[in-house]
Amino acid sequence: MENWIVILLYGLAGTILGGFLFVVPSIHFLNFSGVVIALWGHHQGLFPVAQPLTLFAFFMGMVVSFGIMNTIPSMFLGAPDESAVFVVLPGAKYMLQGKGYEGAMLTGLGGMLGIFFLAIFTPFLFFGLPKLHVILGPHMHWILGLIIVYMLMSEWPKGTGKGDTWWQKFKGAWANLFAGIVTFVLSAFMGFLIFNRTMVPVQMGFQGLLPVFVGLFAVSSLISAILSKQKIPPQHVSNSIDLDYKTMWKGWMPGCIGGTLAAYLPGVTGGIGGLIAGHACAQRDDRIFVMSQGVSKVVYYTGQFLLYFIPGYFFIGGGGLTRGGMAINLSPFYKPQLLQEYFFIFGIVVIAASISFFLLSFNSKWIIKLIAKVPYQNLSYASLAIVVVMVFFMPAMIEGGISAATLLSGLQVIGVMCVSTCLGLIPIFYHCRRSNCMAVIIVPICISMSGYGPSLAALLGLA
Amino acid sequence: MKGLTHFMSGAAIASFFLPAVTMAGAERIGGANSFILVLGGLFGIMPDTMDFKMGQFFTKAEHEIDPDPMDPDPQMMAEGLGKALDECYETGKMVKAQMYPMRMGADLWRQYVVQFDGETNEVMIVINEVVTTSQVPVLGSEPPPNKRIGRYKIKGEFNITHSRPSVVDIMSGPMYGFVKNKEGKMEIEFLPWHRTWSHSYVLGAMLSVPIWLIASLAAGWHIGWLYGLIAFLGFSIHLTEDLTGHMGGSLWWPIVKPRCNGLNLFKASNPHANFSIDYTAVVLILFNLNRYAPSPAFTLSTFQYFLYGLILPLGVYFSIVKIFGEKTKKKKEGVISMEKALAREEMEYAAEEAMGGEM
Repeated sequence: MENWIVILLYGLAGTILGGFLFVVPSIHFLNFSGVVIALWGHHQGLFPVAQPLTLFAFFMGMVVSFGIMNTIPSMFLGAPDESAVFVVLPGAKYMLQGKGYEGAMLTGLGGMLGIFFLAIFTPFLFFGLPKLHVILGPHMHWILGLIIVYMLMSEWPKGTGKGDTWWQKFKGAWANLFAGIVTFVLSAFMGFLIFNRTMVPVQMGFQGLLPVFVGLFAVSSLISAILSKQKIPPQHVSNSIDLDYKTMWKGWMPGCIGGTLAAYLPGVTGGIGGLIAGHACAQRDDRIFVMSQGVSKVVYYTGQFLLYFIPGYFFIGGGGLTRGGMAINLSPFYKPQLLQEYFFIFGIVVIAASISFFLLSFNSKWIIKLIAKVPYQNLSYASLAIVVVMVFFMPAMIEGGISAATLLSGLQVIGVMCVSTCLGLIPIFYHCRRSNCMAVIIVPICISMSGYGPSLAALLGLA
Repeated sequence: MKGLTHFMSGAAIASFFLPAVTMAGAERIGGANSFILVLGGLFGIMPDTMDFKMGQFFTKAEHEIDPDPMDPDPQMMAEGLGKALDECYETGKMVKAQMYPMRMGADLWRQYVVQFDGETNEVMIVINEVVTTSQVPVLGSEPPPNKRIGRYKIKGEFNITHSRPSVVDIMSGPMYGFVKNKEGKMEIEFLPWHRTWSHSYVLGAMLSVPIWLIASLAAGWHIGWLYGLIAFLGFSIHLTEDLTGHMGGSLWWPIVKPRCNGLNLFKASNPHANFSIDYTAVVLILFNLNRYAPSPAFTLSTFQYFLYGLILPLGVYFSIVKIFGEKTKKKKEGVISMEKALAREEMEYAAEEAMGGEM
């Protein structure tokens, strides 16, 4: 029993640390986990080796708190990660109406409902998922292909259609579509380059995508916020949320479907999953959308890591399922074997979600006070500075010290971030979908799974 | 139906072919895996893609109503639209009118509502508030009451009693096609360029021919036909699904050109219809992938599979919708704003009448 208490304490530590850490723009749990694992290499006493579940409990707490807390940098500071990018626009709308706190709490409530979904879905997961994986496993490449084609085909012209000739009308309306296709192709190319010939130091391993995502989503949003010079009206901290049970259900359903899709399908993030599920349920309401994105990202992050805890014996031939960066990062250390471990970890998920929800309220309130005191442009500049410093020093943090090599690596990483920032700015300036940037990960994975990866790499001279 | 529904249906129909599923599966020995099943989805969404991304820009409207965003004149707009109706009434030919949105800035648009009133045979334009691109109204930005409503009484009669109001705000405006029917009444076609030539089985067959040829040259004549067939079926399922709605399509264009009406079972945007078809498509895909797999993961009978996998879940879903769903249709904010403006106009009129009576 004592062991469980130690594990629980690690879970709580991860939750509370994450609850404050992930308020800072650009800090992603995947990158932080890289730093913690590197630190663990230098300080062996950080996690008891005899109890590997402490490591998992710590990171599960962190994952849950990230899923709920990443609303704050996305909504209040305009610096989203790859899953919260769809919250930026409706979040900005809430902010302009002085209802930023309500918007943030809507996503938080969505997150709680996501955890509730995982609780009731769990029994089906044990028996259904292994069978589903046997069926879908060999077909993953074309399922990702379907998502890619849909992402491209479902973007519609946004021009006003004015013009004297059909060509003028066509050109005006296609400006955003063309920009979307360009963003998609360039992002896919960049992703393929990074996957096949890494442009960041090899020591960064899985963290290699950090500068890419930060550039595509966070830095580009911050530059846009700085350029737009938008003034944020005073924010009202309400005691209640404008939400009824029907709206809740309407947001919950697409969020659960989207999060589950994203948790299972490699390369699909919670944002994309939520977007597709939103189309499937054909709902139009900002509250529904914001809440469904809250559900989706929590189901995605938490569900993905939770899949690792399904005991391997449920799967035909054993082995289990490794989905997402966190499971990949931790898989060398331990593979949970018992059903008991699954339920214990799920207990930590519930506790972490409850704490994170209250921390979301707490953090939102002081961020709102900060926004009221400090001009929003200055906050954006400060966020940008934090992001650049974080990215620059990431190699040093992973190495556990500053050296000439880590500083040089930092410059390389900043270079990659600058390129991806330019890509991330295309959708902002040309009003096309920002999800096109996700081609950076989904296309290389799809190509690789289809078996065309080596021949394409050879064609591009990357082999 | 929504784009995703057509897309999913196209992929589902492709999964019925054993050679296609075998080619797509990673168990296939030798070579990379095929994306043939994606072709079904791609052609499933193709008819709407051709309309919304191409067709609409090639359709010329005889009348264009492009109001001044800074000083919109609702009366002039109503007259512009009304004159298009009069022209159709007088000539008996189809006349098209294009309404444009009023862009006021990078993120601001002036919203207005168009309504055709069959009881008074009037075209009505109501100017609403300025809205952001997210369609959030800027409070207090509506024009003064005397510059808010425009009406025009047409020469003929509408074939409708009360049309659904069209809210025009961001990005693009609707095109109307006016037709005089055999009884001499005016009919309104919403988006006359939509679901015409692009929604034809004949065009679907024509488009699948190049797919068949290209695939045959690339993969061999023995299998190329399957690519063409999947493309055609994906395209066709879209047209067939669209028949459940109101608008229908020009199914045999260019042989028979007029657009036939749909079965009017539900609106294309109906969330429950869309969701249940999407879900059915997923269930069908799983069923086909399992039965064509070298070693199927589940061995339920077809009846059991569809009972547990499709009928019961959809039954639960529709029960929830029935018990907790919306009992009344929710109106768009723009329509509510229009109704308030009209109610205010009516009250002012009634007040004037009453005062006149006292005098």
